[in-house]
Amino acid sequence: MNPKLDSAKLGVAVRISRIDWDQMSHDEGRRLREFGLMEGIEVTPLHRGSLFSRDPLALAIGRMQVIIRARQAAMIEVAPTAP
Amino acid sequence: MTAAIPMIALVGNPNAGKSSLFNALTGARQKIANYPGVTVERKAGHASFADGRPMSLVDLPGSYSLTPASPDEAVTRDVVLGQQAGERRPDALIVVVDAANLDNHLCFALELIALGLPTVVALNMLDLAERDGLTLDPAIVSRELGVPVVPTVAVRKRGLTDLLAAVDGAILSHQTQATAQSAPPPSDVALHQRARAIARAATLSEAPVRRWTQRVDAVLLHPALGFLILLGLMFVMFQGVYAWSEAPIGWIEGGIAALQGAVDAALPDGFLRGLIIEGILGGVGSVIVFLPQILILFLFILLLEASGYMTRAAFLMDGVMAKVGLSGRGFIPLLSSFACAVPGIMATRAIPDAKDRLTTILIAPLMTCSARLPVYTLIIGAFIPNTTVGGSPVGLQGLVLFGLYLSGIVGALVVALVLRRTVAKGNAAGFMMEMPRYQWPRLRDVAIALWQRTWIFLRRAGTIIFVTTIALWLLLSYPKVPTGSAESQVDYSVAGRIASGLEVVVAPIGFNHDIALALIPAMAAREVAVSALATANAIEAGDDEEAMAQSLSERLQGRWSIATALAFLAWFVFAPQCISTIAITKRETNGWKWPLFMVGYLFALAYAAAGITYWTAVAFGLG
Repeated sequence: MNPKLDSAKLGVAVRISRIDWDQMSHDEGRRLREFGLMEGIEVTPLHRGSLFSRDPLALAIGRMQVIIRARQAAMIEVAPTAP
Repeated sequence: MTAAIPMIALVGNPNAGKSSLFNALTGARQKIANYPGVTVERKAGHASFADGRPMSLVDLPGSYSLTPASPDEAVTRDVVLGQQAGERRPDALIVVVDAANLDNHLCFALELIALGLPTVVALNMLDLAERDGLTLDPAIVSRELGVPVVPTVAVRKRGLTDLLAAVDGAILSHQTQATAQSAPPPSDVALHQRARAIARAATLSEAPVRRWTQRVDAVLLHPALGFLILLGLMFVMFQGVYAWSEAPIGWIEGGIAALQGAVDAALPDGFLRGLIIEGILGGVGSVIVFLPQILILFLFILLLEASGYMTRAAFLMDGVMAKVGLSGRGFIPLLSSFACAVPGIMATRAIPDAKDRLTTILIAPLMTCSARLPVYTLIIGAFIPNTTVGGSPVGLQGLVLFGLYLSGIVGALVVALVLRRTVAKGNAAGFMMEMPRYQWPRLRDVAIALWQRTWIFLRRAGTIIFVTTIALWLLLSYPKVPTGSAESQVDYSVAGRIASGLEVVVAPIGFNHDIALALIPAMAAREVAVSALATANAIEAGDDEEAMAQSLSERLQGRWSIATALAFLAWFVFAPQCISTIAITKRETNGWKWPLFMVGYLFALAYAAAGITYWTAVAFGLG
């Protein structure tokens, strides 16, 4: 069982190793790809939720920051970045 | 190509600085309308080439690709493909990309270039990219894309002349060469790889991402501290809305009273004078007095949006809103609805999920809009003692007002929860959003947006309230009570007779004839309830000097029980008494089904809330 993006440590860059495209709707998957979230890309989780919830998750992808829900992050497997 | 004025479309990702570029190119001379059949705004304007030939420009909704995820994005696709009703296919495209985010923005640019229209890429916000330590070579981007690339800084009007010259050149050279590009569209993964490769090739040097944004976000998005700051900002905003608007509201009221006085002196007593003073000036005046509050609220919201903070607020609120099946995207429309549900409902267009959006529209009228305030203020002032609670510095009147706001919010959350499990059932609302960089709001962009919002509000609300107030005035004034009759003019009029019918229905929840009469014109707008009570009381007082000397609240105290007054307040927390809101809901949901549903459920809630309040108060001996 590989670690998933929803439980990744904040502030530490990780590489996306696999995305479970089948679990998400067509539109969800497309929007993720439009944000540049796809296999092989490096992302850094930055902020997670507020007082009342662990949702949502803010990520840095390159020079862009995007917000996704924990449910989607749970479908994204990550691995440590290559040294 | 026709001899008509060339039509050029600005298109690009959200947050690419497209609107700033549009404002810089067209100035304040913009026209906002709707695309036929959909509720997407069409922003159009004019500009001219260096030699003076005119061109028309349209600003298309920001989009990530040609595969739409929302009605706005569908319009963008249809316009560039020439399939949008009411819009001819653009003669050229200006693709706006954020220079600091080429990895992402070039994907859409590649898709658009493949369409084969004359295209120029505006490499926008180049100054911000340079500030962030990024050095780019526009020539490389141009070579890789195969179209002219012009560096622009929209907010400083840099590069605009070059941009338009490049557009002119692109249109000309396009005419001389045949275009036959019908390669199958590449997959989105392939597009991204291509975009990243171009961005890498064009990047001459790159400093690491600047740290200060992250330090600011560490505070503003802090799970606890960030939330407190958001609450603090909202508190300041509402204080501002009510405190800073007092003086201008006074000026407007003074101005309208002066106009009424002038008309009173200039015209003989009769139909025309009554119509102008009570109908037109009174009616239009009742809308315009809200203008200062709405301007202040819009200003706050525009500043929060332009600075990039609003997305952070949506991030913080998403967790709470997810619990009732909504998303952080709904926070912005609901916040606007505290000023007025009409712009709030219009702002729901940014919510991509249809069910999420529908639910947000249906609960928007539960946010206490500024039109309820005159009603609340009158009744609280008349019936709630001006004392403090149990020796604390908290005033009882303020506490009741706070309670009314809170009832609306709690009611909205409960209703959302129920709707998302019943009529608006759907997948858990998604929340995928790009977080823009922080930026100083540009005065010009904010001023243009503020003017546009204000004008839309005034035009819509003005026409509806104008018509209904005149209608009410006619219904209250005719037929004239025969001289010597014991009946009052109000009871004798058409409106009075309708009210007597309505009274039968609302009597069980403690409402009297006064209230029944006020409720009818208040369908147009809630605040009209106050002026209707005032008008009816004034007409009824007639020549009775003692009664005339009493203020409206004194007269209400004599005629209503506390239980009735409280029931009246509870009613207005829920009652959908605003024709503008119903009309905008019909427009935004494309039909009568949802506005009728909204009116039905809100009246049912209002009746129940008023009834429970009345019966409880009577049980406590306040009847």
